[in-house]
Amino acid sequence: MSKEIPTPNLETPEGAPRSDFELRNCFGFRISGIEFVSRHFRELSVASALLLLLLALAIFAPAFFSPQPLLSRLTREAPALVVACGIALVIICRQIDISVGSQFSVCSVCAGLLAASGWSIPMVLLASILIGALLGAFNGFIIASLRLPSIVVTLATLAILRDGLRWARQGQFVNLPEKLQWFGFSQKFGQLLLIITALLLIIVLLFILKYIAAGRFIYAVGSDAEAARLAGIHPQLVTFLVFVFTGALVGLASLMNIVQSPQVDPNSGTGLELKVIAAAVVGGVAVSGGRGNLIGVFLGLLLLGCISPALIYLHIEAYWEKAIQGAIILFAVVADGLRARR
Amino acid sequence: MNIKSIKHFLLRHETILFLVLVNEWLYFYIVGRRFASYDNTCDILRHSVEIGLLALVMTPIILTGGIDLSVGSLLGLCAILFGKLWRDAHLPIPGAIVITLCIGALAGGLNAALITLLRLPPLIVTLGTYSLFRGLAEAITHGVDTFTNFPEWFLFLGQERFLGIPAQAPIFVMVLIAIWLLVHRTTFGRSFRAIGFSPEGTRYAGIPVERRIALAYVLAGIVAALAAIIYTARLGQAKADAGTGYELYAITAVVLGGTSIFGGIGSVHGTILGVAAIAVLSNGLVHAHQPRELAGILTGVLLLLALTASALPKILTTLRPRSQTLPSNTQTASPP
Repeated sequence: MSKEIPTPNLETPEGAPRSDFELRNCFGFRISGIEFVSRHFRELSVASALLLLLLALAIFAPAFFSPQPLLSRLTREAPALVVACGIALVIICRQIDISVGSQFSVCSVCAGLLAASGWSIPMVLLASILIGALLGAFNGFIIASLRLPSIVVTLATLAILRDGLRWARQGQFVNLPEKLQWFGFSQKFGQLLLIITALLLIIVLLFILKYIAAGRFIYAVGSDAEAARLAGIHPQLVTFLVFVFTGALVGLASLMNIVQSPQVDPNSGTGLELKVIAAAVVGGVAVSGGRGNLIGVFLGLLLLGCISPALIYLHIEAYWEKAIQGAIILFAVVADGLRARR
Repeated sequence: MNIKSIKHFLLRHETILFLVLVNEWLYFYIVGRRFASYDNTCDILRHSVEIGLLALVMTPIILTGGIDLSVGSLLGLCAILFGKLWRDAHLPIPGAIVITLCIGALAGGLNAALITLLRLPPLIVTLGTYSLFRGLAEAITHGVDTFTNFPEWFLFLGQERFLGIPAQAPIFVMVLIAIWLLVHRTTFGRSFRAIGFSPEGTRYAGIPVERRIALAYVLAGIVAALAAIIYTARLGQAKADAGTGYELYAITAVVLGGTSIFGGIGSVHGTILGVAAIAVLSNGLVHAHQPRELAGILTGVLLLLALTASALPKILTTLRPRSQTLPSNTQTASPP
């Protein structure tokens, strides 16, 4: 009766204790070139689109690459990058947060007011992160405890925060003390510091998402909350914490934004939510949850952020920026849809 | 009508929202000066027609479990194109209106094609077209061009009264009746709800799911174009930023009106009550000499309360059995 079951050879390091499938997916080795391309199709295609754009700029407008303007442009994108990481986590967890723009404005204004009233920079940083985390916790608590759809809840908090801020401040700018500019360093050092902070954050988050249980929980809850619950994860708690963490990132990003200018614009976060969601989507984060990669988000944000300076350097009217952004989003999702159909 | 059905009626979302609306109205009637005058009522009506139209067509979309973020941007694009057709292409206004409506249908068709043919999530598709439509409007006008000096008779549509009521009200009522009949008295409405509950099940029941969804989005495009024309007539000018943020107001009104964002449950009269609640609130606050911003805050709070109220019964039912079965569970789990 017995077809002999091959006993797994546990000693060999290469051996087959588990199936090849698992080995390839968990540890990421033994991948052929074709598999690599098909698995990282989105990142590669966004990267090649970005390369093409940069190539076009290098040929037609080499001035784009002169170091100082390039550095300033990258610095301006750094806060959005931090927020985009947060929103990517939220989307991977199969939620969405459209109130990040309003949160960003509220955090900016609060941090500006605290700094103007004489708080030291570390305290302002801490307070800004804390305020962001509190706003995120409010969203997260309602969404996780009452299991309400996140898009509607954050739509409500978007309106509350935006109009609350307008009511309290009547659209006034906040004048910042001199010492807050670039954290009191020289401009060049400050710019480098911001860029390095954003990049470090991405690297740390990449590591957490790939190798730390907390990161894997987010993917698990995003792909199937019920299965995650049966596996011993508390999906509601994970959702709540993801929102809190995203809020904290928004707080950090708002401080990274206000140190760049002598005043705080209370409308600085308007439209930010759509920009970062677009970056995440272009970068291959699936709105159906459980799939996505921060490298893709990084590339997506760079691609979208490069468009408007590229338009100026290539002497195309800057009014086309939004239309081209929309076209890129649609192009990315259409490519996704076509691949899924094949 | 027995007691149970009366209780059921009283606890319905629409009834509660109606009571909220009546309370709002009474409060502003007492506090505000000239709030309840006929002129002001016409004002409220006039200002809520565009958002009302968008909310009306958003209802079938949300019933199917979808969402359309692009309606506000489409309103802007259609307003610009309407102005362009009239001023630069020298078309007569009726011709421009017809072509604008066709453009609206085409834009809705783009959404519908991407969503149904490629099975893409509506949230992302309409996020893309949200950017695209607004961007096209900005690109066409270079961000600054505005279209003004429309003829008197066209402005009549948005600013004057016809038989004592605002001239755009009859159009709104016609669309309202059409959508109400579509959602509540036809098999289309039934199929929208069925799709919202279970698209796969609906497909097995022999309903052409894709075509029904496409119908909802194309309808949204046409009505957004209609709203653009009324908007242009009311303000007397067409600008690229027309209708910015209207999609959020429309979605708020629909959800406030008791339509589940997951689809399947909802009604058109609920949506109308939602629109009215928001419109009365924002107008009444001005008459009560309160800051305008309070309207947004209160709308948000109202939305959260409505959501919580709708979620509470579900939460309570999931909590109760768990607390009851907990002892028996621990018994069975304990080793013999």
